[in-house]
Amino acid sequence: MIELKQLHEAILNGDAKTAKAVTEQALAAGHEPLKLVQEYMMPAMNEVGRRFECNEYFVPELLLAARAMKAALELLRPLLAAKGNQPVGRVALGTVKGDLHDIGKNLVGAMLEGGGYEVIDLGVNVTPEQFIAAIKDKKANIVAMSALLTTTMPSMKTTIDAMKAAGVRDQVKIIVGGAPITEKFALEIGADGFSESAAGAVSAAHKAVNG
Amino acid sequence: MKFNHLVLQSPRRLALPISMYPGLALTGAKVSDIVTNPQAQLAAQAAIRQRYQSPFVLCAMDLSAEAEAFGCTIAVSDSEVPTVTGRLITSQEQADKLAVPQPGDRRTGVYLEAVRLLRQMPGQPFVFAGCIGPFSLAARLVGVSEAMELTIAEPELMHTLLEKCTVFLTNYLKAFRAAGAHGVIMAEPAAGLLSPRGLSAYSSAYVKRLAAEVGDESFNIVLHNCAAKLLHLPAILETGLKAFHFGAPMDIVAALGKVAPDVILCGNLDPAGVFVQMPPAEITVKAAQLLTATTAHRNFVLSSGCDLPPNAPLASLDAFYAALKQANAAAH
Repeated sequence: MIELKQLHEAILNGDAKTAKAVTEQALAAGHEPLKLVQEYMMPAMNEVGRRFECNEYFVPELLLAARAMKAALELLRPLLAAKGNQPVGRVALGTVKGDLHDIGKNLVGAMLEGGGYEVIDLGVNVTPEQFIAAIKDKKANIVAMSALLTTTMPSMKTTIDAMKAAGVRDQVKIIVGGAPITEKFALEIGADGFSESAAGAVSAAHKAVNG
Repeated sequence: MKFNHLVLQSPRRLALPISMYPGLALTGAKVSDIVTNPQAQLAAQAAIRQRYQSPFVLCAMDLSAEAEAFGCTIAVSDSEVPTVTGRLITSQEQADKLAVPQPGDRRTGVYLEAVRLLRQMPGQPFVFAGCIGPFSLAARLVGVSEAMELTIAEPELMHTLLEKCTVFLTNYLKAFRAAGAHGVIMAEPAAGLLSPRGLSAYSSAYVKRLAAEVGDESFNIVLHNCAAKLLHLPAILETGLKAFHFGAPMDIVAALGKVAPDVILCGNLDPAGVFVQMPPAEITVKAAQLLTATTAHRNFVLSSGCDLPPNAPLASLDAFYAALKQANAAAH
């Protein structure tokens, strides 16, 4: 008998090995992939986000929880797609051109995956052309841009301008974040959403998509 | 010369912004000059000192030089502080085999020479060297994001790297002292992303050892952590150090209420949100508010929460010092 609560606990504890094993056993026992995601995995990542926000969890715990979530999702994603279950949204995520910092981006990616989004991680030093290619080729409907440096913040506007020039701006919602980014700056460059924390990125994405 | 005595006995409020890069606007040098040429650091600090009459001069905060000495590759540009790229260490075996460099290797020699030059400046300023902290250095060797996970998933690997980083940094600080530095600002930002328990085990324990080896009585170590929050403070104080420099996430007024009156706290105006993005008039107000909130604490030194970015306007630093001048004029 599979105890599905173990999947929830494994993600909370950042235990990728157990998360993967329980998912395999659950699938073999005939449990619905969507049920595993919606009833066990997403609530676990929501709880991780809550604990992070109130300083019970810190960056290591959050990243390990995300790794556990990813290990389970890798098994489930093809099955979900085969059954026509779509992710909440498809996010092209990257640190903007000129900026090589990745920790903020990784935290946001972890929380978005936990929130049911499919994350296309474009890495660091991402050019406007790479974001545009992810919109065109991978059908991303959200672009999430990160910057740590004040000198690379302008790359966000350059990327948005390039999206406009390429005719893809209206196909996506854009959210931005990073240490020097403010809501005022996000509005000035024409982004649709802003978050000052990794956990807040999920609600920023929901808000940008749903209005 | 003791930093703590200098601060506590000063009749005026003091400021110690981490401001090497704004000096570029005065000398015309590029960031790439600063991080490769000790003379460029001297020129920038001389220009800053002449403009603001600060009792302190300091080396550039460049948290890639030590990692480069270990063998990491870095990206250098004319306009941005160098960044470590890629991961040097990906396994326990590599960590075991990693050789500890010598002070002076690669660009650490630039900073040792910068200290020698700063020490010769007229007026005998208090000279701060700059270096990275042990956890932040280990994190750069293994990848910062990966280091976070490894503190829980593979603690042995992190401790292996921390041992080697601590050996190097101990020798590096001794070399700074021999070069004439009165102290060092040791930047340990990555440790602020850990839990208090993690910070204690992976940073404070090593900083404490390092400080004991170097001898804090004759050499002032100011531990900088721009990511730490108030809940990290007890773990940070475990280092036993007597001077700290915090970033914007720290509730500096509350922190001052929790430390002994002879422990110096410096901070903590946001370098990006205040110095880069605010107009000068607002910066003066912000700095004045912080000085007012800390009036009762002689052990507080007004500062930026981290090093000022290369694109922080000089007018911002002017506005910051204007608040200090006004506060001191009002008090006397």
